[in-house]
Amino acid sequence: MAAGGGGSGDPLAPAGVPCAFSPHSQAYFALASTDGHLRVWETASNRLHQEYVPSAHLSGTCTCLAWAPARLQAKESPQRKKRKSEAVGTSNQTDLLALGTAVGSILLYSTVKGELHSKLISGGHDNRVNCIQWHQDSGCLYSCSDDKHIVEWNVQACKVKCKWKGDNSSVSSLCISPDGKMLLSAGRTIKLWVLETKEVYRHFTGHATPVSSLMFTTIRPPNESQPFDGITGLYFLSGAVHDRLLNVWQVRSENKEKSAVMSFTVTDEPVYIDLTLSENKEEPVKLAVVCRDGQVHLFEHILNGYCKKPLTSNCTIQIATPGKGKKSTPKPIPILAAGFCSDKMSLLLVYGSWFQPTIERVALNSREPHMCLVRDISNCWAPKVETAITKVRTPVMNSEAKVLVPGIPGHHAAIKPAPPQTEQVESKRKSGGNEVSIEERLGAMDIDTPKKGKDDLQTNSFPVLLTQGLESNDFEMLNKVLQTRNVNLIKKTVLRMPLHTVIPLLQELTKRLQGHPNSAVLMVQWLKCVLTVHASYLSTLPDLVPQLGTLYQLMESRVKTFQKLSHLHGKLILLITQVTASEKTKGAPSPGQKAKLVYEEESSEEESDDEIADKDSEVSDLFAVCTSACISS
Amino acid sequence: MAGYKPVAIQTYPILGEKITQDTLYWNNYKTPVQIKEFGAVSKVDFSPQPPYNYAVTASSRIHIYGRYSQEPIKTFSRFKDTAYCATFRQDGRLLVAGSEDGGVQLFDISGRAPLRQFEGHTKAVHTVDFTADKYHVVSGADDYTVKLWDIPNSKEILTFKEHSDYVRCGCASKLNPDLFITGSYDHTVKMFDARTNTSVLSVEHGQPVESVLLFPSGGLLVSAGGRYVKVWDMLKGGQLLVSLKNHHKTVTCLCLSSSGQRLLSGSLDRKVKVYSTTSYKVVHSFDYAASILSLALAHEDETIVVGMTNGILSVKHRKSEAKKESLPRRRRPAYRTFIKGKNYMKQRDDILINRPAKKHLELYDRDLKHFRISKALDRVLDPTCTTKTPEITVSIIKELNRRGVLANALAGRDEKEISHVLNFLIRHLSQPRFAPVLINAAEIIIDIYLPVIGQSPVVDKKFLLLQGLVEKEIDYQRELLETLGMMDMLFATMRRKEGTSVLEHTSDGFPENKKIES
Repeated sequence: MAAGGGGSGDPLAPAGVPCAFSPHSQAYFALASTDGHLRVWETASNRLHQEYVPSAHLSGTCTCLAWAPARLQAKESPQRKKRKSEAVGTSNQTDLLALGTAVGSILLYSTVKGELHSKLISGGHDNRVNCIQWHQDSGCLYSCSDDKHIVEWNVQACKVKCKWKGDNSSVSSLCISPDGKMLLSAGRTIKLWVLETKEVYRHFTGHATPVSSLMFTTIRPPNESQPFDGITGLYFLSGAVHDRLLNVWQVRSENKEKSAVMSFTVTDEPVYIDLTLSENKEEPVKLAVVCRDGQVHLFEHILNGYCKKPLTSNCTIQIATPGKGKKSTPKPIPILAAGFCSDKMSLLLVYGSWFQPTIERVALNSREPHMCLVRDISNCWAPKVETAITKVRTPVMNSEAKVLVPGIPGHHAAIKPAPPQTEQVESKRKSGGNEVSIEERLGAMDIDTPKKGKDDLQTNSFPVLLTQGLESNDFEMLNKVLQTRNVNLIKKTVLRMPLHTVIPLLQELTKRLQGHPNSAVLMVQWLKCVLTVHASYLSTLPDLVPQLGTLYQLMESRVKTFQKLSHLHGKLILLITQVTASEKTKGAPSPGQKAKLVYEEESSEEESDDEIADKDSEVSDLFAVCTSACISS
Repeated sequence: MAGYKPVAIQTYPILGEKITQDTLYWNNYKTPVQIKEFGAVSKVDFSPQPPYNYAVTASSRIHIYGRYSQEPIKTFSRFKDTAYCATFRQDGRLLVAGSEDGGVQLFDISGRAPLRQFEGHTKAVHTVDFTADKYHVVSGADDYTVKLWDIPNSKEILTFKEHSDYVRCGCASKLNPDLFITGSYDHTVKMFDARTNTSVLSVEHGQPVESVLLFPSGGLLVSAGGRYVKVWDMLKGGQLLVSLKNHHKTVTCLCLSSSGQRLLSGSLDRKVKVYSTTSYKVVHSFDYAASILSLALAHEDETIVVGMTNGILSVKHRKSEAKKESLPRRRRPAYRTFIKGKNYMKQRDDILINRPAKKHLELYDRDLKHFRISKALDRVLDPTCTTKTPEITVSIIKELNRRGVLANALAGRDEKEISHVLNFLIRHLSQPRFAPVLINAAEIIIDIYLPVIGQSPVVDKKFLLLQGLVEKEIDYQRELLETLGMMDMLFATMRRKEGTSVLEHTSDGFPENKKIES
């Protein structure tokens, strides 16, 4: 699967793929995609800056990455940077990226040189590295792993400085305190370590699932009257896998309080979290949480102690395609990451696919609780850097071409030619991974006779359902089976049902035969089928007559009225035809209401012609009335 | 006038489902109260002592509910992992529960922390129970062992390693403190005696055993596993008495009614079946919304509690009888009113005249008595009568027909009234028990109203409906006739076979046999 969502194999692995903005100016966005490539994008121009494939990218995929803190602003020329980093270089590590891998090694990659700087392997982890944190000033690197240990590295010497067991289960996340003297680590529970002595200073309850992110949210305690020892009174934030709540904890001086002081609720599992540190008491913490469903939730909150109710977001940002043409329904574009710019008033959004993300700066000025940005990302797909072009060409297919796909033999797979690359986000994401995803294959395997397939399924399950229904006397189950109208289906079911259910079925049918003719007709079909198919079995039964006696009597008593009913039916038919006929005549007055035959009596008396004519017409009128009455009744 | 005979209302037997004492008894529950638990409810157990609270085991918690409370009155949540099988002691004061991490914990009902913790099992303990002497606990675990623990000094007394798969159910004898029974996924149910260190009896169920139950007498054992519920006679050394297969999915729980006359089984097919323990036939069946994992009946069957896989606990209370009696009763005349004069001894010269008992006549009978035939018919065509007791309507029509006045009674009706009659016909004409009478009535109606047909669209539509119905019925009966033909053939082959067998007998040389049979 080429689609995003890195740890889709492991249910408890954090969602998304490792990615990070470079510190301070957010000039670069590093992204280690699932195919093992490390890509660094320029955020300002939305260009691919560098691409690097570690040699062991297939065996040890990148699980986490971290930018080295930039203590010097990134103004220097590349030359100088290079030289400095190659030298002893305690201060200038701005271009270094630390990559943790699934096999336990840590790679240091220099973005300036565009090559591997060094490898941290010896004495380190022997399992998946879960999180890497750079120390702000000492040039140390901290990493934690599934092997339950936390390791402190000396980056210059590429050696382990210290290694200690951090938890009873895997350690999934790390964070260094603002003053650099403490370290937070989290598996399921959260621990606060004193870095100097490597002793646990505080315990926190943590989450039910592995913690995926840890962050300090304040660098000054809210209560400034007390002397600040660097850690007491600080708040930090934690998010966990499969948890829709982000918890905020406070480091207190007394050791009792272990539970979270407050929590933020989001719509789905958090994938990427960014926040602005609050430096004083009045300044609210701004928090941007990217969820797995592709939305960004923004929170703005002044942290001041305990809050029982989970807070909901102040603003939600979504991105969707414009509805155009016949595909008028806009499709959501997933947001992959979001980072605050250094001015704290705008947000860098990374959206689209993991292989070709679009990076955009969005100003946060609106007060609306919901923002939906409409972006057409189909035209910006064309790769801008030559190196980014994958060497895959979509084969040109005409409509006659047949494509064989893996699947059930015999099914005629009607494959549509792969959609051109500049059409939809969804297809792009998949085709970018230079193989057809399972989903696409399934979609392509358009089974052209769905009706038949369904039918087969029913005949397979009906005997089972029937047997189960008869055994447990489940009314609904029996209804489902017995109320079918399909004669073929009935025949197949009766053929396949086990012999010992024949008598129970007959008894059930006896019960159902007494109902309304509408439903009973269906039961007769079943009865007939059973009698024809299982005649030989039934005739071998020694107690057939007592078994079927009730059924026989029931049927006999019912058909007794056949003659009378037919008689009644005849009458009714006549009646109905008369009614319909009269309705017809009512609708269109028929032309010939004149009598067919007029009987004229020859009068012997001499009368005037006029009188005779009068009489005739009277008589004919009378006849007409009679006949019309007859017809209408 | 005195000799009026009320119309005999014919009652017709309905084939099929019968309303038995059991259906009445088991239907007499209120609509269920549903309580959402944290996870699948794996066990429900009622305290044997009043006020009959019940313990519900779901996920890592044990909730204790009062009889009518929908909120737990107590919660034991000191489990690191899933808890199993919270069971009350006979005196209702102690509760024991197993757990996924292999521990067995004993709680006081009033306390919160466990009184005793029995450590020794290496895997999840799915079944625990108190023995009859109240001082021991039996536990069965996924490490294939069954252990007996002493409560006072929380020591392990005995370990039985006879099962070769997970032990998932068990129960202790109510009479003998040394006997207990366990069922395992190795398809066997074993009876252990604490005095002998080995199993004294083993029966082969044939499927992984999910639940076992001992009758209060201890003589009969019920085991459930797979789709079967099997009853074993322990006194005969484990002889299989009955094998019941009434579920179509795995049976997960068993329960006896408080009288011991009915056995209940719950299954993953979302049904609870009630069996009679004398005939072992299903006498009633309950439907639930999800697969059932646990089931319990309160004292005197006052409450049925069912726990399901979706974490919902369904509680059904019996309808209280007290409500009916609370209605203010009309004051009747005193008893002496009725016996007044009854003890009067007849003297020699007295002539005894009995006042004839006053006969109570139904309203339609009164009408008929006074020959108000149209009114009588109207009365029984009233919607309340036609829907509830159509047989009365039919009987009256029949009676009118017998008197020869049905045509008169049906005549002279307006559109509304005639459509009432036709509605009744449409509804009941296809019922074989009413058909002969109603067909006759329909013919009379047609005869009477033939001249005015076509004047009212409402009536015309009814006639059209009636015609459709009759047509269907005729089709149906034609089919039935065909089927009857088939059955005749079948029966005929039966008879011929008997005949041929007789012939064979004769050919074998038993001529006297033939004589007798012929």
